[in-house]
Parts: sequence; structure tokens; C-alpha cells
Amino acid sequence: MNKYWFYVLLASSFEVYWVSGLKHSESFVEWSLTIGAIVITFFLLPQTAKHLPIGTVYAVFAGLGTVGTVLVEVIVYGEPFIPLKAVLIGTLLIGVIGLKKVSSEPVESEGVA
Amino acid sequence: MAWTAVLIAGVLEVIGVMNIKRLAMKKWDALIIMPITFGLSLSLLSYAMQTLSMATVYGVWTGIGTVGSTVMGMILYNEPRDWKRLLFISMILASAVGLKLMS
Repeated sequence: MNKYWFYVLLASSFEVYWVSGLKHSESFVEWSLTIGAIVITFFLLPQTAKHLPIGTVYAVFAGLGTVGTVLVEVIVYGEPFIPLKAVLIGTLLIGVIGLKKVSSEPVESEGVA
Repeated sequence: MAWTAVLIAGVLEVIGVMNIKRLAMKKWDALIIMPITFGLSLSLLSYAMQTLSMATVYGVWTGIGTVGSTVMGMILYNEPRDWKRLLFISMILASAVGLKLMS
């Protein structure tokens, strides 16, 4: 596998970790690990975008992050699995990925802020 | 309150991401804006997750971020407003409303 896709997978794992951390962290150590994971994701993901098509990267990352969070919540934290909720999160995810896929990234030199 | 927090967190995230681009264009105040908006966004997320499921919060927050940045692109950079984009935006918003009604 292209090593950059592995980094996307890695960034997604850290993403799931810090999302769980935002909800469940209590001690100083837990919060530090959560913030560490946030920082890693924040710097790792743009690096992959330099070598891979950014629309696809975002789609894969959002997909893995969302599915991963659902799985962790049900398996690790014992949240009940509600099919309708899973379906709605699924349609939301399809919307996010679809929107990213039909949108082209503006060229770097364009745009006025 | 939790849902309001998710909404504001999403908006702050959009502002933060816009400032990444501004930083690339050497608008240095972005260096001050970014930590504030991202920090607040994550704090609000954490607050929302105390009452709501984290999968729901994360999904909706991602959705608001994506819709928000797309709409900003349409307004600020004249990006296309074709039916496919509007369809996906509607899917995201409808899903978010559905999740809110369930919570």
C-alpha cells in the first residue's frame, strides 16, 4: 500500500482517539494524550494531502473517522446500537463524501480573503 | 444547549479552516485567529459530548464544517452552485435534523 494512504489511516486512528478523549478524558494525562492526538492529526493529514488527491483523502478520512467513532462508542463505551441513528449517520456521511467529491479544490493562487 | 454548541463549533471550525488559507496568503493575523477558533470549537465539542453521543456530535460537526466551507466557497470564491452540491448539502442537513430529533 502507498505509504501515504497508511498515514491517512493513521491520522484517522488518532482522530477517533481524540474524539473519544474529548468526551471521556478526566485526568491530566488523559487530556494531554487527547491534545497530543489532536496535534498529530492536524499536522499529519495535510502532509498526506501533498501527495494524494485531497478530495479523496478527505473522503476516506471523514469516513474512517465517523465509522471508527461509531464502533468505538458501541464496542468500547457500550453505547446502545440504534439502527436508525446508524442510518442517519450513514446518510450524513454520504452527503459529506459526495459533496467533497463533486467539489474541486480551488487553485492555490485564486481567492480573495 | 448541546446542539447549539455543536452548531457554533461547526461555524468556528469553518472560520478556522478559512484562516489556514489566509495564513498561506501571508495574512499573519490568522496565526492568532486559528488557535482561538479551533480551541473554542473543540471545547464546545467536548461540552456537547457530555450530553450527546460522540458519533452524533462528530458526524454533525463534520457535516456543518463541510456545508459551511462549501457555502463560503460559493459566496466568497464564486464556486459552482450546481444541483449535485445542493443535493448533498440537503442530505447532510436533513440527516443532522433527523439526528437532533432522535436525541
